[in-house]
Amino acid sequence: MSPGHKRPTEKSLRRTNRVLVGVTCGFVALAVAMLASPWKPSTQARIPLVDPSFLEQTAWRKSYADLAREKADLSDFECYVCHEKKNPPPLRYDAEHVLIVPDEHSDIKMGHGTHNRNNLCYNCHNEGNLLTFSTRDGNELQFAESSRLCGSCHGPNYRDWEAGVHGRMNGYWNHQLGEFRRLDCVNCHNPHSPRIPTRQPAPPPHPLRLPFVPGPSAPPATTP
Amino acid sequence: MSQPLQPPTGIPDETDRLMGRRNFLRSSAAFAGLGALAASLSPLRDLQDYTSVDEFVQKYYKEMTPDDMSKVIKRIEDQVQRQYGIRPHVRDLKPMDGVEFVYCLNLTRCIGCRKCVHACVAENNQSRNPEIQYIRVLKLPHGSMDVDKADHLYNPPAVPEKGYFYMPVQCQQCHNPPCVKVCPVHATWQEKDGITVIDYDWCIGCRYCEAACPYWARRFNFTKPDIPKERLNPNMAYLGNRPRKQGVMEKCHFCVQRTRVGRYPACLEVCPVGARKFGNILDPESEVSYILREKRIFIQLKEEMGTNPRFFYYFEK
Repeated sequence: MSPGHKRPTEKSLRRTNRVLVGVTCGFVALAVAMLASPWKPSTQARIPLVDPSFLEQTAWRKSYADLAREKADLSDFECYVCHEKKNPPPLRYDAEHVLIVPDEHSDIKMGHGTHNRNNLCYNCHNEGNLLTFSTRDGNELQFAESSRLCGSCHGPNYRDWEAGVHGRMNGYWNHQLGEFRRLDCVNCHNPHSPRIPTRQPAPPPHPLRLPFVPGPSAPPATTP
Repeated sequence: MSQPLQPPTGIPDETDRLMGRRNFLRSSAAFAGLGALAASLSPLRDLQDYTSVDEFVQKYYKEMTPDDMSKVIKRIEDQVQRQYGIRPHVRDLKPMDGVEFVYCLNLTRCIGCRKCVHACVAENNQSRNPEIQYIRVLKLPHGSMDVDKADHLYNPPAVPEKGYFYMPVQCQQCHNPPCVKVCPVHATWQEKDGITVIDYDWCIGCRYCEAACPYWARRFNFTKPDIPKERLNPNMAYLGNRPRKQGVMEKCHFCVQRTRVGRYPACLEVCPVGARKFGNILDPESEVSYILREKRIFIQLKEEMGTNPRFFYYFEK
């Protein structure tokens, strides 16, 4: 025994033991806590990835020019399979002067213009030659040039479209560095009812704290 | 032991000291302590990609030579390949001469579909869990521009809803940016083509810029960004969409990886109604010059703050 070292008493020994046991238990508890980490959010609900349809850049509709480019089936546009040349079909209206669309063309919903102003097929279609369009000032246009037909009445929008301001442009803003693509009117607007239909939006942003209760779930929007 | 075993005597000796209760408790406490120390350091197991020596001593962006930059780019490409299994193509794109970008957004056309939000997230490798989205679409009633009353959590079955208009807000790339003024380390600055950029390796994550921005354009990475491997965009730029780390700010940068090579930003290319217009305001024949010349009603958000944004909202009628 070294000098000055007093033999420890029973009481102080017990106290030391208790302190050591307590410290040991504390460390072990800390170790268990660090390893188990019950506060880590490992089982939190994960935000689902967005539906890839919201990332697509494809236009809503295909124009005649698109179909011709893809060499798709153009039989829908062969009017004289059913109609007679030099004998344009007569137009029929109901009591409220709303156009009656014949059953053979039942997929067409007329809605061009407010108050049914533009419900006359021959405002755009050429009576003399159903395979072309005719403008109000007498020009005959091919199906692939439908945008000029739209522009013959909708001047300001047509000028904006030519400048790239109406409708979407894709590709390069710097025309010297690459190509740019402009869509036709009919790629977005159905010519018989051109108003853009409503559609389902992508989900709203999720807050940091989950679970997140989303708004009313939506059935997918239908397009005419 | 060479000594023959002795019968136990009542007098404590060498052996008793070594094998006594005191020693046992001392040694087990020390052992438990060391074990607990090792266990308490277990969070360090998750720090595989915390920082490497190269990253730690990396220079400030503006002081890097092209040699330094190519080494940094290699480091980033290696890192992304290790983490995601895809080798990206990282470039350091400089601003083009004679170009100042301006963004115009047609509020008569926007339908509030949020496709721009998600196209941006996919293009710029943003975290999905927790969610970071640079663009926030606000729904406002017709006739009001009070953004404090806007609804951004709308989720109706179909948009647009009657009586409301939709206004997507992202970094406005202000001429007079408050975020640049408050950054204590100059990790964010505005380049000569008008884009305010962030050097993610210099940012210290103090979030002063987030507090200073009046448009809440800046986002903070509270955790390591969670990017799904199958949706990683490998076409990256150093100041743009390379994956960020935990603890740094990020924000809309007008898709530098696209716009500085002449392409439209991702939000514009996906917009189904063509409400977004982007271009070089110094070119009189660009779309944005046409809009600012021909259209009549323009809004700069929070004009009274004096930030002078490069983002113009306009109405057709």
